[in-house]
Amino acid sequence: MGRRPSGRPVRPTTVGAVGEHTTLVVGGEDGIGAAIAARLAARGDRVRTLPTDVDVTDATAVAAVLRDGAPVDVVVLARIEPAAFVARSAVELDESAWDEACERTIRASFVLLQQAHAVVRDEGRFVVVLPTVAATGVAGLVPLCAAVESVRVMAKAVARRWGARGVTVNTIEVDLETFVRGDGSSEDAEGIAVPSVPVLGQPSLPERDAVGDVIGLIDLLAEPASGGLTGALLVVDRGTVLQP
Amino acid sequence: MSGLDGLMAGRVVLVTGAAAGVGRGVSAAFGAAGAIVGLGVRRPEAAADAAADVERAGGTAVVLQCDVTDAAQSAAAIDRLVADHGRLDAVVHNAVSGRSNEATDFEHTDLAEWEDHCSVTIRATWRLAVQAHPHLRASAGAYLLMSSPAGIEGSERAPFYSAVKAAQRGFVRALAREWGPDGIRVNSVAPLAMSPALENMKRMEPERVARIEGLVPLGRVGDPETDIGPPSVFLCSDEARYVTGQTLVVSGGRFTGL
Repeated sequence: MGRRPSGRPVRPTTVGAVGEHTTLVVGGEDGIGAAIAARLAARGDRVRTLPTDVDVTDATAVAAVLRDGAPVDVVVLARIEPAAFVARSAVELDESAWDEACERTIRASFVLLQQAHAVVRDEGRFVVVLPTVAATGVAGLVPLCAAVESVRVMAKAVARRWGARGVTVNTIEVDLETFVRGDGSSEDAEGIAVPSVPVLGQPSLPERDAVGDVIGLIDLLAEPASGGLTGALLVVDRGTVLQP
Repeated sequence: MSGLDGLMAGRVVLVTGAAAGVGRGVSAAFGAAGAIVGLGVRRPEAAADAAADVERAGGTAVVLQCDVTDAAQSAAAIDRLVADHGRLDAVVHNAVSGRSNEATDFEHTDLAEWEDHCSVTIRATWRLAVQAHPHLRASAGAYLLMSSPAGIEGSERAPFYSAVKAAQRGFVRALAREWGPDGIRVNSVAPLAMSPALENMKRMEPERVARIEGLVPLGRVGDPETDIGPPSVFLCSDEARYVTGQTLVVSGGRFTGL
């Protein structure tokens, strides 16, 4: 084990090579989560997903599923309640609709991060995938914007907490359509309505395989050499938002 | 308080969590600006000093029972201000969970603790918006959220507090776009300010507060009334008529990279 100039030992990197990981993809039943899970499995990665009937706001139920399986090297959290993608004025929502469109996503993210942390290996990687909407705010999607920013900063907070284990937590943001439809290959993708978000502007780069770009970043973040990168936001939107 | 004189004269403002700390200081600043200040508090009997501050500063204080986790109470507080004073020009949502100063053991806690934070900061942020919307539209008013630097940087000690404050920032950006056509501005302030908890720490562990102050380029933790109050009043006043969707970090330079 090497040593820093301070004399403290340098932690060796242990995350294995790309393709040898066990990756837990949460949100793998539709949208970008499904696309990521499918492509990782297709190339031979070991992929775990949650059964669709698990209540993701029930810590006991999630724990029971996650602890009954192999330890995890990489966790991909790409899950937002479908109700959040329905464009409506915030003042037209009732309490139940607000909960479904905003708070339930945050509750579930807490439970999933907490329980996944219990099964992730030391030096493991968390990658939270979100849509870019909260960077600028979108009329009609107030609950979604609130939930996304909440989950993004929750990820930063746990990045600070879990660093002692060598666990990194980073966020990748993609355009809303990519998040909702994934790569459009699923049977349901065509039928999903995606709200228009003109305030985000036009992309600078030509059309690309957004899901492939996200997987490329997940692979990059899983590399041992990325062990010093945590709490970061990586935006894969072909240069659309270009945050200050 | 010069500079605030008359800035909100005759205007009606509701401040939640107004009994102490930032809420009390901001209320006093609105008083100095000439506002009629509805002090929304859970226990009216605890708001006497805050009300006296508003009156001393030159404003009119109205103490209102307003536990923001109770939809009926917040609706009644708004209705009473409008009924008695004819208008509502600004809502400042400052109330936070009573557990905000506690460390959160993220890996072992449960949803009950989350609910304490969420109900006050996220749900009430939305609910107050719904309840105030027709009145703020009528006055071309302002909705101001008291967020936190923790909601931008993510606090290791307070992941729930960070998450709910971050939600407010996303809320502000989106609602500002939604309410722009109504003429309502939506902003937030992320303050670093003395609180009752920090005042207590200063008495018990002055070295800890000294360490915090050492991280602030301006060398001190902000005063709720004189440091946080004026920017808050500004954002609710006509002087900020072209400012919306923003988070103003008021931290003495402590947080320059957010």
